[in-house]
Amino acid sequence: MSYYDIDSILTDAEKIPCTFQLDIPDLGYLDNNPGQALKSGTKIALPLWLAEMLAIANLGDDIDQDKSFVSFELPAAVGNDVVQALKADPRAVPLRDQSPHFYGLATHMMDLSEEQELGSVLRKTFVTRAAEIALHARKVGGTTGSKGGPAEEASNLGVGGAGEEFLRGLDEWERKLFRKAHDGSKAGKEWMDSVKKR
Amino acid sequence: MPMYGDLGNKLVQHAKRTQNLTHLPPYQAELVRAVAREVRDLDKDVASLLDPFQGSFDPSTDQATACTLLVNHLSMRRNKRCLLAYHRTRTDKLEELVWNGYDVLDLSAQKTRGANSMTAGADGGTSSLSPQEEDYVRQYGDLLAAYKGQWTDIDLTGSLEPPRDLFIDVRVLKDAGEIQTEYGAINLTKNSQFYVRQGDVERLIAQGYLQKLG
Repeated sequence: MSYYDIDSILTDAEKIPCTFQLDIPDLGYLDNNPGQALKSGTKIALPLWLAEMLAIANLGDDIDQDKSFVSFELPAAVGNDVVQALKADPRAVPLRDQSPHFYGLATHMMDLSEEQELGSVLRKTFVTRAAEIALHARKVGGTTGSKGGPAEEASNLGVGGAGEEFLRGLDEWERKLFRKAHDGSKAGKEWMDSVKKR
Repeated sequence: MPMYGDLGNKLVQHAKRTQNLTHLPPYQAELVRAVAREVRDLDKDVASLLDPFQGSFDPSTDQATACTLLVNHLSMRRNKRCLLAYHRTRTDKLEELVWNGYDVLDLSAQKTRGANSMTAGADGGTSSLSPQEEDYVRQYGDLLAAYKGQWTDIDLTGSLEPPRDLFIDVRVLKDAGEIQTEYGAINLTKNSQFYVRQGDVERLIAQGYLQKLG
């Protein structure tokens, strides 16, 4: 997660639902009301780069008065519905539809909130899906070299439809994993072929 | 709802696309200018917000202003990150192209010529690089040449594949003039074909003047 990391920057652009805790005269434009005051209690979806700092900035010197500019809720992408679906079967949820940077968003939310369960659900999700990704990465475009013969090739073609559906639901991080796994097995096969030729 | 930082985000999306391309898409001069303008506007806002306080602003007494200042500051910081990341992505790509032996300036000039003939010069002969980037490439190329010059018997940017044959057939795609080889001079005119030593022409193949046959 470097400063220059493009995916990290795009992750920070994901929006989360926030509620302003005080009246602010100059920020009406955030609620599409330039020139008007932003009222306390207004709900606005703010990008993470803004929401994060506004939420952790503490007002005043009063320590027991734990109040900040905005309070936030978990975005729908890591909300209860999605978590329940992930618990049921991680492979059945198209993460990309929730957010193209699902894991990045989720880890950010874990830093910000005290959601206990999210971490373990995410870990299980990634491990289960990673195995599935590795499986698909080996299959795509690599049927010719397999030892299984025509029978296995046919079965590969059979899963193609469902596999595509799964692969379309990968978030950016998983896509990278898929590409690495795919390139790796392809390079391995190419090397084996070049060794045989000699 | 257009918001501060939206333009910067567009720039980063361009960068994201650039990462997956083999060539370098046109420099988004207009967007870069707009983001820089946004930063200047925000800075002006901050200055006018702070002006009445005469340098004695206390955030805890005026929380609304403090919040506005924070939002403005974060927006500027966000824009800065977007700008830097966009340019860094492009220079990374340029460096890669230089190491691979492409004549970047020549390539971008050619593309412009090609594009202009189709769009009838709608862009007024702009290259896909910004003037600063062209400068960067030129100087990086010089730097790389100086670095490579330390070792005369090793070509650092040469191919890592061991050649199968010492001699190869090549076809000339673009006029490249006369080159000197151990076996005398060869005049590389377009569409002619030669049987030459691979080491003599490797550079020209990488630059797209020659095509390897067979």
